[in-house]
Amino acid sequence: MTTQTSQPRTAAETAREPTDARDPHLRLAKLFDPGTLRPLSTRDAVGASVAWGRVQGVPAIAFCTDGSQQGGAIGLAEADRITGAIDLAVLEGCPVVGLWHSGGAKLSDGVEALHGFAKIFAATTAASGRVPQISLILGPAAGGAAYGPALTDIVVMAQKGKVFVTGPAIVRSVTGEEIDAEGLGGGEAHGRKSGVAHVVAASEDRAYAHTRALTSLLGDRRRCEPSLAGAPHRDLRELLPENPRRVYSVHPVITALLDDAGEHSFEELQPRWAPNIVVGLGRLAGGTVGVVANNPLRRGGCLDSISAEKASRFVRMCDALGIPLLVIVDVPGYLPGIEQEWGGVVRRGAKLLYAFSEAVVPRVTLVTRKSYGGAYIAMNSRGLGATKVFAWPDAEVAVMGAESAVGILHRRALAAASDEDREDLRRRLTEQQRDSAGGVGRGVELGLIDEIIDPRLTRAHVASSLAEAPGRRGDHGNIPL
Amino acid sequence: MDGQAYPNNGGIPTMAFTCTAEIVGTVIEVLVAPGEHVNAGDPLVVLESMKMEIPVLAEVSGIVTDLSVTKGGKVAEGQPLLVILDP
Repeated sequence: MTTQTSQPRTAAETAREPTDARDPHLRLAKLFDPGTLRPLSTRDAVGASVAWGRVQGVPAIAFCTDGSQQGGAIGLAEADRITGAIDLAVLEGCPVVGLWHSGGAKLSDGVEALHGFAKIFAATTAASGRVPQISLILGPAAGGAAYGPALTDIVVMAQKGKVFVTGPAIVRSVTGEEIDAEGLGGGEAHGRKSGVAHVVAASEDRAYAHTRALTSLLGDRRRCEPSLAGAPHRDLRELLPENPRRVYSVHPVITALLDDAGEHSFEELQPRWAPNIVVGLGRLAGGTVGVVANNPLRRGGCLDSISAEKASRFVRMCDALGIPLLVIVDVPGYLPGIEQEWGGVVRRGAKLLYAFSEAVVPRVTLVTRKSYGGAYIAMNSRGLGATKVFAWPDAEVAVMGAESAVGILHRRALAAASDEDREDLRRRLTEQQRDSAGGVGRGVELGLIDEIIDPRLTRAHVASSLAEAPGRRGDHGNIPL
Repeated sequence: MDGQAYPNNGGIPTMAFTCTAEIVGTVIEVLVAPGEHVNAGDPLVVLESMKMEIPVLAEVSGIVTDLSVTKGGKVAEGQPLLVILDP
């Protein structure tokens, strides 16, 4: 593809007619809306290409390493082209998408190739929080080519994507561990075990579709338009089990609150890693929102070390990129345990407190069922600066569940009661405790909850709160926490 | 739940998926018995933890074997609960 099609093609150009599926121009064309691609680099020996185009109408810049030449190896020339693309995106204020297929540094370039990678890392970090950065991994992304994407906001992996610092052969020779490339750095490894991949796609086409949807969500930051919130919807409490001890998936609640845009209504990030918290992007009344939600179906919805860290990074990304937040809360507390304490639940939990406290984007909290203890604080509580805190009727906000509190506060009275009276006494005390300490009314009195809302009007309340709040944006990067 | 070749199946290669507890807790219900066929998504065991009843769901369809928990027992995070043989 050249911009001057009238000129006769040279023999070299004809020979390089893109028939290889790894050809960077073919790959870039798959990312952009048909007919919008404008090459920003010439076809030459440099194994990286850059183009401008539109993604669902949103202007974006993308680069692609050339997997058809030396496995996409990156030397100084390739690195300079990539950093140029990132710098240009910052100047233009548009998203930058990296399409990666690279075995790492070009050995023939020696230490210069390492320097090239260092420049890519520095450019990515300088752009962090200023423009959205999305990586799509289409083949191997090894060594420096693993860290390039890892520094960006979102990493999408196609089914042939493999990410690792050192490959299976070196792992075997150093540690004696036997594993293939897929096992070491494929979709299962990074979608479920490491959390490196935000999206693992079942096919290359699906990977492009997710990348396009995410580029559009992050790049087109329209505000919520309350008139688009629509008429009252059904009572979403139907989606919650009657028994408060029962768990349920929060996904139907999220999709009911977001605009319906078919299969890309909610682009969930890191769905299989720390699944007890759900994070992702969608639109609400036309505006892009970031959703953070406890998921009772997994680990009862408890916060823990890893889920706190997952949410922190997402909150900071949204704040840096100016995306308002909707926080859906149903949390029994922080998960206790030695593994949690030694696993740094204090250190990682602190990140979530920091992320919310720091965030200046509009951020609305909805307590659907319960919010207890330290987890109450962490889930964008009033004290951390929530723009608005809404609760559905019958929600409970307390230090702990009424039942547990009664067991501690009235231990003696319960022990002294006769066997037949004990359960009755426990029931009465629990009722009293719920009214005095945990009921949503007390939260309203104290100003910790702004309003108890009709669940059928949830979308309207959230949309107008997000629209009325000043559209500020955090002044910081998005360190990959 | 991780898939591994299951050794004791009369020489026929079979995938075995070990279901583990994702949270520390008490077993309050065991909903399946060895030899029973389950479908992916079926609840297998219900744990109680943090005052919540948390079902352990089958990630694959197959036959239940190596059931190692009983009602009332305590389980640690990551503890194997049962194995599903994927024929």
